[in-house]
Amino acid sequence: MKQSYTLEEYNSARSVVGDTITNLGGKDDRVWLLTPDIGFGCNDFKGKYPDRFIDTGIAEQSVVGVAAGLAYDGNIPFIIGMMPFMSMRALEQVRTDVCYPNLPVRIIANYAGLTGNGGSTHYAMEDMALYSSLVNMTVCAASDPVQLRQIIEKSLDYEGPLSIRIDPGKENRILYPADTGFEIGKGYMAKEGEDLTVIACGEMVSDALQLHEEAAKLGVSVRVIDMFTVKPLDEEMVLKAARETGRIIVWEDHLMKNGLASAVADTLCDHGISLKSFKRFGIPQVYPGFGNAEEMYHLYGYDLEAVLDYTKQLFGK
Amino acid sequence: MAEKTEVLRLRDLAWQARVNLCKLCGSYGGNIHMGGDMSMMDVLTCLFHHTMKVGPELEEDPKRDRFILSKGHGAACMYIVMALKGFFSYEEICETYGQAGSKFGQHPCKTHLPMLDVSTGSLGHGLAIAAGLAASAKQRGQNHRVFCMMGDGETCEGSVWEAAMTARAQKLGNLVAVVDRNRQLMTSFSEESICMDPYTDKWKAFGWNVVEIEDGNDMEQVTDALDSLENADAQIPTVVIANTVKGKGISFMERQIKWHAGSLNEKDLETALAELDAAREQQRKEQ
Repeated sequence: MKQSYTLEEYNSARSVVGDTITNLGGKDDRVWLLTPDIGFGCNDFKGKYPDRFIDTGIAEQSVVGVAAGLAYDGNIPFIIGMMPFMSMRALEQVRTDVCYPNLPVRIIANYAGLTGNGGSTHYAMEDMALYSSLVNMTVCAASDPVQLRQIIEKSLDYEGPLSIRIDPGKENRILYPADTGFEIGKGYMAKEGEDLTVIACGEMVSDALQLHEEAAKLGVSVRVIDMFTVKPLDEEMVLKAARETGRIIVWEDHLMKNGLASAVADTLCDHGISLKSFKRFGIPQVYPGFGNAEEMYHLYGYDLEAVLDYTKQLFGK
Repeated sequence: MAEKTEVLRLRDLAWQARVNLCKLCGSYGGNIHMGGDMSMMDVLTCLFHHTMKVGPELEEDPKRDRFILSKGHGAACMYIVMALKGFFSYEEICETYGQAGSKFGQHPCKTHLPMLDVSTGSLGHGLAIAAGLAASAKQRGQNHRVFCMMGDGETCEGSVWEAAMTARAQKLGNLVAVVDRNRQLMTSFSEESICMDPYTDKWKAFGWNVVEIEDGNDMEQVTDALDSLENADAQIPTVVIANTVKGKGISFMERQIKWHAGSLNEKDLETALAELDAAREQQRKEQ
């Protein structure tokens, strides 16, 4: 039966962001929280530390500039926003006001990839390409709340600007035990495997873990790397996977050009590595229409079924 | 009213800064933004030498006033005014300006010149950053002010007005925006290309205190206006709109679109310096 819910309930599912920043705000008075009217999940912080909370209204350029000013004065501002607008409308402010002076501004933004069913205006499908192009910027894509919490916590003492893309999912999809350790700048080996490596980030990691299970039933051993830091890329882990498995799939909810796959391909090319196979799964060169994320992944050929079919072909299963 | 001796001191400093800027423009091989530098020279001189609590001895003082040159292409002018305050030497500017490895580039860079408060250059960015600095000061209970110098042309950028709303909503009475209203953009006169008037009404409509200087190149008016600012613990941000003349002080540059930026040859430098000398003589006779 259809359940009713408000927009606040829908968006607050990833309240791990709000909760974690509120905790940090209690421990460290350098922490500020800013938002361009994406204030769901901000209420707790706002209630406890109203003098360190700013809502600029629907003004992404302003929110980034104000955060830069705060950071110049020794603060650590977190911005909660929507990724399509944080990565495009405010791109120059992020580049020139934050990255150029290398300030510790943290941008946490949802509607990553083809999530949220908003249509092409509301899909962030270029954000990792745009942000990865910015000198000094660290680019993360969180796959699970445990990981997301750790990235946020560890960002407190991390040098320079950092961004995290997340989805606006209604349910917290927990992939990892609470004591799992994640280091910014290091890939996370989610599953060991010998025949093939899947390097995934964000939304696609849970599907990659399912692929590992499905492939195992066919006798194919799939290594799964959760590359939640897209930049700087953990090149060592990529090269090791290339050496040990000889086959790589890169799977991302982002344009398959200029995102994670391109970063991996750059690394392989720069080191003169040739593989038995290299395959990208992600968004092709289209402006996608409407539908939920699962429908979109299927339509554009990067859902679990598509990747499993490819894996079967590779190994003649 | 400002004391006469103080006004005369500031006028002399602005005169010296104009001379120094012209000489730099004569020795440097590339463009200097003479038009906008000369229009804001009097206000900038008053800010650095009279209004703001800044100086080389206060570089590390968290309670010093902050300054953001949002019209970053006016960097040469700012360096020269700062040199007169003792932040660094004029000779160092002239010897290195615009060269590889120099601290002094066409747009101010804090990475190269750490004593600056903010790196700028792209227009329309400074006011939001200034609002962040002002919000930080207010939250910490500090009583200094944050000054943000903009060109009127740069207020074509929508981001300026986003920041204006944020600053008003955050009650940033410690924030002072200064607009160098020289009524020229790079390649057109402001009222021809984009309808800015009624300009003060726009800021009033955004809820700001507005202080207008009828002649922003008259040091007495400039000093009086900047002396009239409310205390930093006020609740409403203030904009000072200085009506100025682009290229002020050099007849062949004044209100000339072509002199947005340029370089002076030996003959033109001589003419410019002669005009500045004559203007000073005239001023001294009147005193």
